[in-house]
Amino acid sequence: MMDPLHLLLPEAVLAVGIIAVLIADMLLPAGRKSGAGLVAAATCAGALVAAAVSGRGPVHAMLSFDSLTTLARPGILLATLLVLVAGRGEQRGDDGHPAWAALVLSVALGAMITAAANNLVTIYLGLELMSLAGYTLAGWRAGSRTSAEAGMKYVLFGGAASGLMLFGMSHIYGLTGHLDLDGIGKALADGMPLSVLAALMLASVGIAYKLAVVPFHFYAPDVYQGAPAIAVALLGTVPKIAATVALVRSLVMTVPPDLAPPALVGWALALAAMASLVVAAFTAIASRDAKRIVAFSAIGHAGAIILALAAMPGPAPVAAAAFYLAAYVVANIGALVCLSVLERERGSSDLGALVGAMRQRPWLTSALCLFLFSLAGVPPLAGFLAKWGILREALHAGGEPGRSHLTIAALVLLATTAVSAWSYLLIIRAAVLQPSTDQVRPPRLAPGVVAVLTVCAGATIGLGLWLDGFAVIARVLTGH
Amino acid sequence: MVIGPLTWSVLAPLGFALLCLCSARGARWFALLGSLVPLAIGLAALGDCARHPGAEFRMLESHPWAAGAGWMVGVDGIGAAMLTLSGLVVAIATISAWNEERRAHAYHALVMLLLASMNGVFVTLDLLVFYICWEVMLVPMLVLIGLWGGEQRRYAAMKFFVFTLAGSVLMLAMLIAMWNALPEGQRTFDLRLLMTHWQLWERTAFLGMPLAAFGFLAVLLAALVKVPAVPLHTWLPHAHVQAPTAISVILAGILLKLGVYALYRLAWPLFPVQAIQWAWLIGLIGVVGILWAAWVALGQRDLKRLVAYSSVSHMGFCLLGLAGLTVAGATGGMVQAVTHGLSSSLLFLLVGVIYDRAHHRNIDGFGGLAAPMPRFAWILLIACLAGAGLPGLAGFPGEAMALFGSFTAGGPFPWYAAAATLSVVLSAAYLLWMLKRVAYGPLTHHEHAAFPDLDARELAMTMPLVGLIVLVGVWPGPLVDALRPSCEALLAHVRGAVP
Repeated sequence: MMDPLHLLLPEAVLAVGIIAVLIADMLLPAGRKSGAGLVAAATCAGALVAAAVSGRGPVHAMLSFDSLTTLARPGILLATLLVLVAGRGEQRGDDGHPAWAALVLSVALGAMITAAANNLVTIYLGLELMSLAGYTLAGWRAGSRTSAEAGMKYVLFGGAASGLMLFGMSHIYGLTGHLDLDGIGKALADGMPLSVLAALMLASVGIAYKLAVVPFHFYAPDVYQGAPAIAVALLGTVPKIAATVALVRSLVMTVPPDLAPPALVGWALALAAMASLVVAAFTAIASRDAKRIVAFSAIGHAGAIILALAAMPGPAPVAAAAFYLAAYVVANIGALVCLSVLERERGSSDLGALVGAMRQRPWLTSALCLFLFSLAGVPPLAGFLAKWGILREALHAGGEPGRSHLTIAALVLLATTAVSAWSYLLIIRAAVLQPSTDQVRPPRLAPGVVAVLTVCAGATIGLGLWLDGFAVIARVLTGH
Repeated sequence: MVIGPLTWSVLAPLGFALLCLCSARGARWFALLGSLVPLAIGLAALGDCARHPGAEFRMLESHPWAAGAGWMVGVDGIGAAMLTLSGLVVAIATISAWNEERRAHAYHALVMLLLASMNGVFVTLDLLVFYICWEVMLVPMLVLIGLWGGEQRRYAAMKFFVFTLAGSVLMLAMLIAMWNALPEGQRTFDLRLLMTHWQLWERTAFLGMPLAAFGFLAVLLAALVKVPAVPLHTWLPHAHVQAPTAISVILAGILLKLGVYALYRLAWPLFPVQAIQWAWLIGLIGVVGILWAAWVALGQRDLKRLVAYSSVSHMGFCLLGLAGLTVAGATGGMVQAVTHGLSSSLLFLLVGVIYDRAHHRNIDGFGGLAAPMPRFAWILLIACLAGAGLPGLAGFPGEAMALFGSFTAGGPFPWYAAAATLSVVLSAAYLLWMLKRVAYGPLTHHEHAAFPDLDARELAMTMPLVGLIVLVGVWPGPLVDALRPSCEALLAHVRGAVP
């Protein structure tokens, strides 16, 4: 048997890159530290190439490079690259420490491991790597109390979540004698005693936390509001991709068919989805901070993704979730990069601070509106087609006997679309519609920010027209 | 790839929208051109339909996209009439906003985007594209009201956006459920094919009811919010009062007609059984709207609110006419949609004219304007008489046909028609009373004596409408002939569903 370590090439590139960034920091002279950021971006691009060429197969019952990983790896790396490029322009001044880039790469590495993990140990390792780097990024602004508060909340909630998850995992190991998903699945093939079900639910807390699904969402609004917008762009997207993949893989591999969606687990997922959608929509409209609104919207979008998974089995719901993630990731990164520029210039992301943005930065604010409309699901943008895909799967599965709760969940998704539109309009009202007399010409945007916004806007429009996308992704998933 | 004229009716405004963004000074010219191109295409389509009487779609064009959707366009008489109306109304609205100086490039670009999406609804034969265009138009409308409107513009704009979005989300569920119900390999959004499958929607269960019932309710909700029908009309007075004049004109002249068009194009053909079953309800909604809005209009002190409520009242005739399922009624409903587009646009333009001079719209704050502004008073007289449904003007044929149709339809419709006839009195009352208070009598405010009469630009935007109102009133034949074959075919399809 060939040594399977070559499959790990993209992860290896990232790991080497993290060290290279730190070394570059030591070697570069004081005025030219920003070169480390270049190293980080190059690392990410290199890993992307490696991910494109590397093969498939398992690595010692720890990692599995299957079609899901093939889809997830480029997504994670592209999102990270966008954040790194946008962050280079934004992270000058006191934030311009090269460790920032190293931490971003660490989040990406953790996400890659989680997305490939088919063993409880590797899932945990990946999630923790993401979390530890994420805690630091959330609290990055040393002088800012809110940023410190965000970091602290993230640590406390995250620590509790991973504690519960470890507890559940240890139970699973004790009850089945296996740590790898394949073995657990085989041990559970004849049925699932209540004890294992409880353990599985505990173990899924970590994933639900990363996805920010109700009832594990409480940290999200505070962390998003306090953390630097550019860090939120990373923490709101990359871990979500990884957690979704981990969830799909554990659902497919461990849950025995009689409990898999459509049955009990499907019910649980649909309930979590509905709760997330409703809570997010109705709490967002009471928020008066742009990043907080985006945080609530992230909870709602996680609900939509979970709804797609509740419509499993089959590749089509997973494809719908993947498409949704892609649409969400580009729009979310785009919106938060816009907000990070405005936040930096205006000192706050409070709605009142955004007044006059359109007059000062018409192009940037127009882009922000584009991303918000996509997140709201206005056609013909990516968010609309993504919602369309989820609805299609939910209504399709909802037509099967005994699964009509999915039809209800689909209608909940539609109803909350209209409600959450109001919260996006709050941002648009502040930034575009409120009158202002500001005439100050702001400095030119950093080229990195312009590039990222162009890519995100292009993808938001392009994905919205890619009606074939669901079929193409489903073909990749089934390996044809 | 050959791009046909109907596609250009959408592409041209989009192209001119980009040009508008490039030049603030040339924007109004680009916008005018961008609306005249669809107007010419609409006229050509109307002529084409007139030369080939029949209900089939003309100027067809099809570019498949994916998953059964595609850019499929074609118009029948009704589509052509709506396309012409939208080009005309936007051209006139552009002239009325000729002196807009605040961010003129963005303003005209947004109007062009609005026109493109409205035309998309009128020409497409694909349900998915229909839905997309239906939703896209909310975005330019949001910004147009929210940035260029009156005091409470932001609230009005957001209320409009969320209200109409909430009205149409169920339509998306219907769209997907219909797509899922079709057998694999035959999945399509082609309306011409979907309407042949109406029995399938009857058989498919959705949420404990037939999919057809759900779909009908979904389209009905979306359409009634747009029309708007009482009691879903509460966004309209807000939006109208806050919107700038040109946007009020577009709102009343075209946007409201989209609701009627959706009923005609989607609800009746796709769900004929429900169209028969629920006819009594839709007719009732129509009559209640006609009377209630007319009654409320009597009590208005703000000119724009009065005209807005008169719109709600007059649109009720479209619902009443369509619901009766008679050829005369349905044709009358569509004629009313077109002619109300002319008369309400004119009324809103005239309200805008005096608002520009007096900077308020309070009816009690005017009096005797006929002395300083005789041309204005004459045109206002014609607009009011047309609105009141005087024979010989455009308001008459549609209302009369809708009433005739209802009298001949069975069930409760003769009663509805009898009740709706009352509104002729009411609308004459509120419009002529307004006319008397504003234009006639002694000049009550002496500073108004200096008001200049309509200038060349204002005549250029009102006279075409006056001409058309008189023309259609005296000689409604061509318009009726263009609309009737499609209505006949629709009713034949609906009646074919009776077991």
